[in-house]
Amino acid sequence: MREKETTIYLGPQHPGITGNMMVKLKVTGDTIVSAETHVGYLHRAFEKLMEARTWLQCFPIVCRICVPEPDPNEENLSRVIEEIEGREVPERAKYIRVLVLELSRLATYLLWMGGQSGSMGLYTMPQWTVGDRDYILDLFEQLTGGRVYHMYIWPGGVRRDLPEGFGDKVLKVMDYLEKRLKDYDDLLFNNALFYKRAKGVGVIDKAKAQEWGVVGAPLRGCGIKHDVRIDEPYEVYDKLNFIVPTYEGGDVWARAMVRRQEFEQSISIVRQVIENMPGGDFYNKIPNPLNWRVPPGDAYVKTESARGEFGYYAVSDGSLKPRRVHARGPAYVHGVSLLERILQGANIADVSFIMNSLGTCPPEIER
Amino acid sequence: MAFDIKGILSPFKALNQMGKHPHTVKFPYEEKVTAPRYRGLHFNDLEECIGCGTCSTICQNKAIDMINIEGIDPSSGDTGLRPRVDNGRCCWCALCVEVCPTGSLSLTTDYIYVTEDADSFLWTPGVDNPEGKEKKSFVSDSEHSLLEYARVPMRELEGSERVKSFAEVVLGYSEEEARKEAERCIGCGICTDNCPVHMHIPEYINAIAHGNDEDAIRIIYDNNPLGETCGKVCTRRCEEICAISKRGEPVAIRWLKRYATERAANEEMVKEIVNPTILPPNGHSVGIIGAGPSGLTAAYYLAMRGFNVEIYESKAHAGGMIMYGIPKYRLPLDSIDKQIEYMESIGVKIHYNTMVGKDVTLEELHQKHEAVFVGIGFEKPYSIGLTNEEAEGSIQAVNFLRAINSDKHVEIGDKVVVIGGGNVAIDAARVSRRLGADVTILYRRRVQDMPADWEEIEGAEDEGVHIKPQAIPLELITNENGRVVAIKYANAEMVPDPKGGRPRPKIIEGDEHIIETTAVIGAIGQEADYSFISEKIKSQIEIKRGRIVVNESQQTGVEWLFAGGDIANNRADAISAIADGFRATKGIEKFILNKEN
Amino acid sequence: MEVKLQVENEILDKIKHTFHSAEVSIPRKQRVEVKLRNDLIHPFLAYLKDTLGFKHLSHISTVDWLEENEIELVYIVMNYDNLVEVIAKIRLDREKPEIPTLREFWPQIETYEREIHEMYGVNFLGHGNLTDFILEDWEGIPPMRRDFDTVKYAKETYFNRPGREDAQDVRTTITKKSGEEIPELAKVYSVRHLE
Repeated sequence: MREKETTIYLGPQHPGITGNMMVKLKVTGDTIVSAETHVGYLHRAFEKLMEARTWLQCFPIVCRICVPEPDPNEENLSRVIEEIEGREVPERAKYIRVLVLELSRLATYLLWMGGQSGSMGLYTMPQWTVGDRDYILDLFEQLTGGRVYHMYIWPGGVRRDLPEGFGDKVLKVMDYLEKRLKDYDDLLFNNALFYKRAKGVGVIDKAKAQEWGVVGAPLRGCGIKHDVRIDEPYEVYDKLNFIVPTYEGGDVWARAMVRRQEFEQSISIVRQVIENMPGGDFYNKIPNPLNWRVPPGDAYVKTESARGEFGYYAVSDGSLKPRRVHARGPAYVHGVSLLERILQGANIADVSFIMNSLGTCPPEIER
Repeated sequence: MAFDIKGILSPFKALNQMGKHPHTVKFPYEEKVTAPRYRGLHFNDLEECIGCGTCSTICQNKAIDMINIEGIDPSSGDTGLRPRVDNGRCCWCALCVEVCPTGSLSLTTDYIYVTEDADSFLWTPGVDNPEGKEKKSFVSDSEHSLLEYARVPMRELEGSERVKSFAEVVLGYSEEEARKEAERCIGCGICTDNCPVHMHIPEYINAIAHGNDEDAIRIIYDNNPLGETCGKVCTRRCEEICAISKRGEPVAIRWLKRYATERAANEEMVKEIVNPTILPPNGHSVGIIGAGPSGLTAAYYLAMRGFNVEIYESKAHAGGMIMYGIPKYRLPLDSIDKQIEYMESIGVKIHYNTMVGKDVTLEELHQKHEAVFVGIGFEKPYSIGLTNEEAEGSIQAVNFLRAINSDKHVEIGDKVVVIGGGNVAIDAARVSRRLGADVTILYRRRVQDMPADWEEIEGAEDEGVHIKPQAIPLELITNENGRVVAIKYANAEMVPDPKGGRPRPKIIEGDEHIIETTAVIGAIGQEADYSFISEKIKSQIEIKRGRIVVNESQQTGVEWLFAGGDIANNRADAISAIADGFRATKGIEKFILNKEN
Repeated sequence: MEVKLQVENEILDKIKHTFHSAEVSIPRKQRVEVKLRNDLIHPFLAYLKDTLGFKHLSHISTVDWLEENEIELVYIVMNYDNLVEVIAKIRLDREKPEIPTLREFWPQIETYEREIHEMYGVNFLGHGNLTDFILEDWEGIPPMRRDFDTVKYAKETYFNRPGREDAQDVRTTITKKSGEEIPELAKVYSVRHLE
């Protein structure tokens, strides 16, 4: 019997990922013939709004570009302003920023572990990891005053100094997470069913990966070793010891294993940061924000977010407000053009599984 | 890690989690204790808040409104408004806290907001949660506040350099310094309320911050034609209530005005930049007695409105007290000339050396002009009331300053005693230092009671003036030639005033001292000389405690006679005189045009 | 410093040698900025990608220079071998912004070009699929252009929740009390009106 081609719509209500988007699938039987993404459910015109706000007023906006991982946005906007302005950042602030970024990476990976397992029906993992993520959010609450949206990194440094005894609290959480990682291994990474399910699924062609704009864990999952923290070290990453893991295969499995290894590396980075935290100022104060003009110029900066290269291009015309701020999230490429490509030939059940492994984040695509 | 038996068994290890204590929220429910830095609901200390609205300005969500609250009335330095937060819009970024100049606004550890009305998101911090004071968490302290609390220091000549000449002490801001200082302003405008003229302070400061000094000049000249004088010697009541001064040094409003006005180097440039719209002559004429700040201001704005304005000035130079009272190291002659010449260039006529009452009478002026403005100032010094006051070597400070400013020589010798604690006393002392004398100031009360500006007192001390507080002069001692050679004074102690006023000095019996001196300069106040006003007119106007009583448009009991400056207000400074002149402009215009109809 | 920028300078020389009209500069380490004539962007990116090995397209951004009546396209490409990023800029006529598509170089450019077409009204010739990306059935000027008034749009499209009409302007409250009259030329300098 010949199978008829059918069109089905996946989404827009959270198709197994954070945020609303829709994937229109043409399928024969269980196999996807072609996929077309539809975004536009979360467009908040952030880039337009920023042009009508002073530089500092942009900070409460940018952290909302990616809900699970707001800190790279703050980091990028701060750094792009600092680069245009030529503003120095104290050493201590740089260490604190790295601490925040790595804690944010850990939190994002925990959320990803939950999403990745949840999208294949393994619901114990999300319960564990979301619970464990809260320990990191507790740290953020103590450090920044906010749990999810921190608004903590800003031009010239960070907003407040570390609270007393914060380092020990961080180390305690790190010890705990390291212990828990064994449980995650047992349940997910060493799970034969996960292996069976993930191996050979959502394969990115290694030869095409760079041209397709693949970045972050998906790129390293193709065996290509690139990481902004190494390629273009920012803050104090050049003073820290860590390895950039790569896996061959380009499939969901390889991406998962890369993230699994990076999780350990991040714990190690956090410990190094706490150990080497220098004294001194945490902030090189900006002028009165109501009268703060950034000199004319433009710059492109990037940060290695948990999902890959996160870049900001900003232009100042010398006025109180930015001329243009453009956020380039990894999901912009991963979640649209790449996803459409690698969904071809996949099963319907694998769609959210693959989307999760690519780190698709609709609020970041639409901004 | 592969599809093997080990991988199949591995997930079962999760079973060992059974029986472990869960790390979720406890049952029965316990409220989570938030971090000491938590950004929860707002709290506003209503007493501390001055209603500047900076929180509302910085809020990028437009979540904060400034509203009137029952029981909070506007006062000097407080708009009476208080912030109200729309919790439906707020994102708790706490930028409002970081820019609050007073530190009254903070976030609390509270995060639960329950209301029965689903449409009600409005929350007035401090009113809706008075208990929030105990729960403040994310607070604004000077260390973290985004405002700049330290002023860009003004460069000055060294004290030892200053006494060598009458060169201007204050060196002025450079362009870079001015921009930096101007950037500190938050633009609330609270200062304008205290300025007698209500100058557009936030606007011209912001123009400077924008790098547009010419617009700043235009804004200053909108209601103050003596901006440059004020930029140098204003008593700057605006700075007293500057929002930034709640926790730091106020924005240097005076120095910024000085910076802007000095950018126009001469009167041609002033005219070119200000480019005032001068209405064609309207056929009406106004006479002004005294070319002091009030008279000049009235003349300037009346001339712009098309009136024929003539000023009658008894001396050879215009400016009044700013010319003859203020020492040249504070306000150089060039600067005064520039301002006067600019006014003359737009049509203000000044008759110099014309004393009303002698060269021309008030009645004659009334016949010639439809309205007359009197701004003669206080020129007659009070007597110091000591024996031998008339002796040679005893001088009145105003006379002394006038003589020095007119380039006349005054013999004071090398050991001068100044009596008094006001700005005139300090001026006389600092001028005497520049003439090479050793100077001592005798003042009845404590240093902190001195009415002189704090800066002036410090300036005098830097220049080596000795200040002897709680010293009450008793008599002047003369030699056989009748010349003052010493002064006798007694030390005093401060005793509480039975009427509840400030403490009063009481002579300590027997604690008397004598200082040798070559000149004694008295500076305990001045009064006006009203002898030019005829008895008939005097009977129609009211003079209270030496000052002419006027209405809100500076009109006296005689409808064509207006008055302003020291003779009409009790503030005795240039900016109040300018304000009087500005108000009189409108009053005179209204009076003349109404009469016409 | 000279030694450190060796790679950047080599790239700069090569670009200058091939594209004489290009303005090339090195804003900092790992960055080379190139300002190009519009018709050269196609051969230039082809040269970067195929000859110099700039395989990774980081970003395409757009800046509206309303006052100069130009729309700037900014292409950021990266070479993973020497880790240098080239920022290539061209400026299109704002009245009729047109440029041939670059779809064949990098497949993900399709998305960028669709968005730029939608948000800035730039026409990518030969793209073939310049359909709605984020917006749906948008009419009127492209919303990311500087002359699109966001506040006006929001006022026309949405409504304010009632209850906030009693809000007072601080500066106006003060002038009402003091009687100050702010002249027109001064009003533009009130930082209270940040928007």
